[in-house]
Amino acid sequence: MSQVFHDIEKKIINSLKKNPIQTPETLEKSTQLLPDQIRRGIEWLKLKNLAIVDESKSSTLSLGKNGIDSFEKGLPERRLLNLLTNGPRKLSDLQKELGFIFGPAMGLSRKNNWIETSSDEIILKIIPSILPGEKTLQQIGSGNLSKDQIDKIDLTELLKRPDFIIENIMTSKKISLTDSAKSMDVSNTSGAIDVEANVPELFVARRHPLKDTIDEIREIFVTLGFSEIFGNMTQSSFWNFDALFTPQDHPARELQDTFFLDGVSAKKIGTVEQIRKVSDSHKKNWRYQWDINEARKMVLRTHTTCVTIKHLAEKKPDEARIFSLGRVFRNEKVSYKHLVEFNQIEGIVIGKDANLRNLMGIQREFYKRIGITKIKFWPTFFPYTEPSLQTMVYNEKLGKWIELFGMGIFRPEVTKPLGITKPVLAWGGGIERIAMLKYGLTDVREFYNNDLGWLRSNTKCQ
Amino acid sequence: MPVITLDYSRLQKLVGKVSKKQISESLPFLGLDVESEDETCIRVEYSPNRPDYSTDFGIALGLQGLFGIKTGGIKLKIKKSTQYKINVTPSISKIRPYVTGIIAKNGKINGDILEQLIQMQEDLHMGIGRKRKKSSIGIHDLNKISFPLLYTTTTRNHKFVPLNSEKELSISEIISDTETGKDYGHLLGQSTQVPIIIDSNKKTVSFPPIINAAITAVTTKTKNLFVEVTGINKDDAEDMLSVVATILQSAGFTLENIQISGAKNSSPKLQEKKMSVDSSLINQTLGLNLNTSKIIASLKKSRLDAVYRGKNIVCTIPAYRFDIFGPMDLVEEVALGYGIQNFEPTISPSQTIGQTNPISLQLKSLDQIMIGLGFLEALNSSLSSKRVLYDMTNRDSQKIISVLDSKSQEHTVLRDCIFPGLIENLSRNIHVSYPQKMFETGSIFNLDNPLSEKTNLAVISAHKDANFTEIKSVLQTALKIGFGIQIETKTAINPSFKNGNCANIIFNKNIIGIIGEIDSKIVDNYKIRVPVVGFEISLSDSILKSI
Repeated sequence: MSQVFHDIEKKIINSLKKNPIQTPETLEKSTQLLPDQIRRGIEWLKLKNLAIVDESKSSTLSLGKNGIDSFEKGLPERRLLNLLTNGPRKLSDLQKELGFIFGPAMGLSRKNNWIETSSDEIILKIIPSILPGEKTLQQIGSGNLSKDQIDKIDLTELLKRPDFIIENIMTSKKISLTDSAKSMDVSNTSGAIDVEANVPELFVARRHPLKDTIDEIREIFVTLGFSEIFGNMTQSSFWNFDALFTPQDHPARELQDTFFLDGVSAKKIGTVEQIRKVSDSHKKNWRYQWDINEARKMVLRTHTTCVTIKHLAEKKPDEARIFSLGRVFRNEKVSYKHLVEFNQIEGIVIGKDANLRNLMGIQREFYKRIGITKIKFWPTFFPYTEPSLQTMVYNEKLGKWIELFGMGIFRPEVTKPLGITKPVLAWGGGIERIAMLKYGLTDVREFYNNDLGWLRSNTKCQ
Repeated sequence: MPVITLDYSRLQKLVGKVSKKQISESLPFLGLDVESEDETCIRVEYSPNRPDYSTDFGIALGLQGLFGIKTGGIKLKIKKSTQYKINVTPSISKIRPYVTGIIAKNGKINGDILEQLIQMQEDLHMGIGRKRKKSSIGIHDLNKISFPLLYTTTTRNHKFVPLNSEKELSISEIISDTETGKDYGHLLGQSTQVPIIIDSNKKTVSFPPIINAAITAVTTKTKNLFVEVTGINKDDAEDMLSVVATILQSAGFTLENIQISGAKNSSPKLQEKKMSVDSSLINQTLGLNLNTSKIIASLKKSRLDAVYRGKNIVCTIPAYRFDIFGPMDLVEEVALGYGIQNFEPTISPSQTIGQTNPISLQLKSLDQIMIGLGFLEALNSSLSSKRVLYDMTNRDSQKIISVLDSKSQEHTVLRDCIFPGLIENLSRNIHVSYPQKMFETGSIFNLDNPLSEKTNLAVISAHKDANFTEIKSVLQTALKIGFGIQIETKTAINPSFKNGNCANIIFNKNIIGIIGEIDSKIVDNYKIRVPVVGFEISLSDSILKSI
């Protein structure tokens, strides 16, 4: 199969066939390509063993400020000697005429015995036809030259003098074709292109990775027979806490754990009967003065359980499978493992046959569908469920057990006052935790940074 | 939740013949979360509903049950005595009306035990004591006190030497100068009278709920203890006392009662209560089929006593298990005694048909259309800041909705629209290649008797050629393809948008959103070097269809 070339490569090869040794600059001129295209083209050809790049260092010489001055007006010592050709001159006059070059001119002329000084007069002794350095100065001044074209000794003198000569070291590339390339036909009439070459990266518009996880979880619950309900993120304390048997002096209800809305209270929190029965349950079991104003305080929901319990209290179904998905809030310091706002899934099963083993079975099924098979259950405590369990799942990547969903059966102290007569299985947990496992993240904040680099590049199907 | 450090060798001594491994594997099945573990110690977190787990004595009782080393209820043996009396004066009724207490004799207190007792006291204060407000404990060296005691009130000039002090301080000085005074002094309010316990020699024993007297301090030389609990509710105070009494008895002390009288106070009973539970409730709730003897054996492993009367299981519940409210709590005790690890999960066939919420489906479709139009989905918190929502975008912050005492400055205000967050996102990505096109659907909040929550869509596009026509095309197409809706745009002035490049979005004669080029000052302030165009529309009221 004949080799296929990129347009850039073709142009370079063709140019080198005409003119076998070239620099990138001459290639630019002959091919009309941009410097960057030349650079890439040469690199590709080199990798394919078609081009030879010979790098060499050379130095060129040019005149500095003092060098230019001397090139135009003569070396300082030449100018001094010229002033003396018509007889001795006064030192002070010479100093005035020559200015700052007087010092170096005097020093050199005296050292070489071209002049003599008597009291305040300077007398010429001899005037050489060519002074050291003069020839080199002329050579360099007439055009940049490479170092090896110059008389070394003559140059050394000049190099010692300040700002006379500038030495530029340059790397030059000489590009030529290898033998195999010289005989290669690059005209390519087949229409083939270089299918092996790199192509530019595209940025795909896509769903947020966390939303992908949420969609996946939603779908699992729907296929398990659950229906989705919605509810508000702002809730009265009544539904977020009181209806869930969390006493009004419970630490979770303090400002330091829960976000209370500044100056916002609910006007209507429930039916008269709901309020009476819930408050009676608190007074009887927790023994304190229940305060309706505490229950009116609006909070950012700390769990989605308030949505499901409200739904149950309203509809009182005998048999149902329901779930709710959404943001919940905790007043915490934001860190790699804590957010103030995150997503939670909450599911419930109500029915006369609902029992603890079913509850565990649903969890096991859910975890299986998100690819987690090693799970165990531990007892735990929640104010509104009894019995209460938590799932521990084994994470192979981290090599340890981590806590995922909490679950339990709603306490009679929760269900009875709201007129719910059948047992209710309930569970819930954070979605970001599951998504972190899925995407291998160690910092939960990544989900909300909207870092385009990450959003554009992470792998969608994991 | 409180955390306690358990020393393996102490625990092994208390529990009986068990290995370290058995202990660490069994602790979670008491409901204790293992925090960390090393060669000698294990740190566990316990739920505040089980204050008896605030010491290793309490945890040892639980483990003995699980291992079957000792099962059944823990009975308090309290010797009747008439030697110890507390009289209460009516003046206390309005401040901290109740006192209760117990005598614990002939115990051995070494450094470890002292540490456990202090830890227990601290945890009880924080948890069921609600930071000493509801009830608080004082533990004293009995031998330094002469009975009868008086629980009464005194003025703030009253002086005594408090714990951890060498000199006499007045009540006022204790409240203003000592650490516990500063922490808990507020519990007494502005009252000129404060609670005090004084012995028969007029010596101060305790200034509840703040501090004990130095003279009664418990040391490793103490043999006999006097425990007092004061509080605002008699039952709560006795609950707390029951935990301390149970732990002290487990630690080897013998208990004697105190007679308490005056101002509606009486001697503590610390009585067991009986509660019965139907065995069919147990089996139905757990999904098991246990016979009564298995149920009783399980309850005993949970350190409760039980007998059966036909189908009913009658349980005897010690006073310190005040977390047991009703039969469902006993169901859980059966589950724990039976062992959660022994439950086989089952899946009962679904009798219901699942359904995604129609709103979710519509939002997902809209998201897909936006992605099809080349926009990347972003997610921001609904709880944002005044800076991002108002200051940086020149928006009016009059109707701001704030949360109280946020621990994070970036999360203090509920958003009333989405686009300011997206512009802030652009500012974090100025080094990333353009065009940058993003959208977000999410909830927004407004004050509305008291609050309304609605769903909005916000879209922005930032690149060197971004312009009004481009973004209006996106808006028009998204609504037409998504919902079959035609919209109009009518010139508007908005402080976040460039004058002459901004319009209201009109649908059915109502303004449903805003569209335009973001004001160049806003873009400059964010150091974004390309023009930014965008729109935001409300989806809730007229676009999304609830079915």
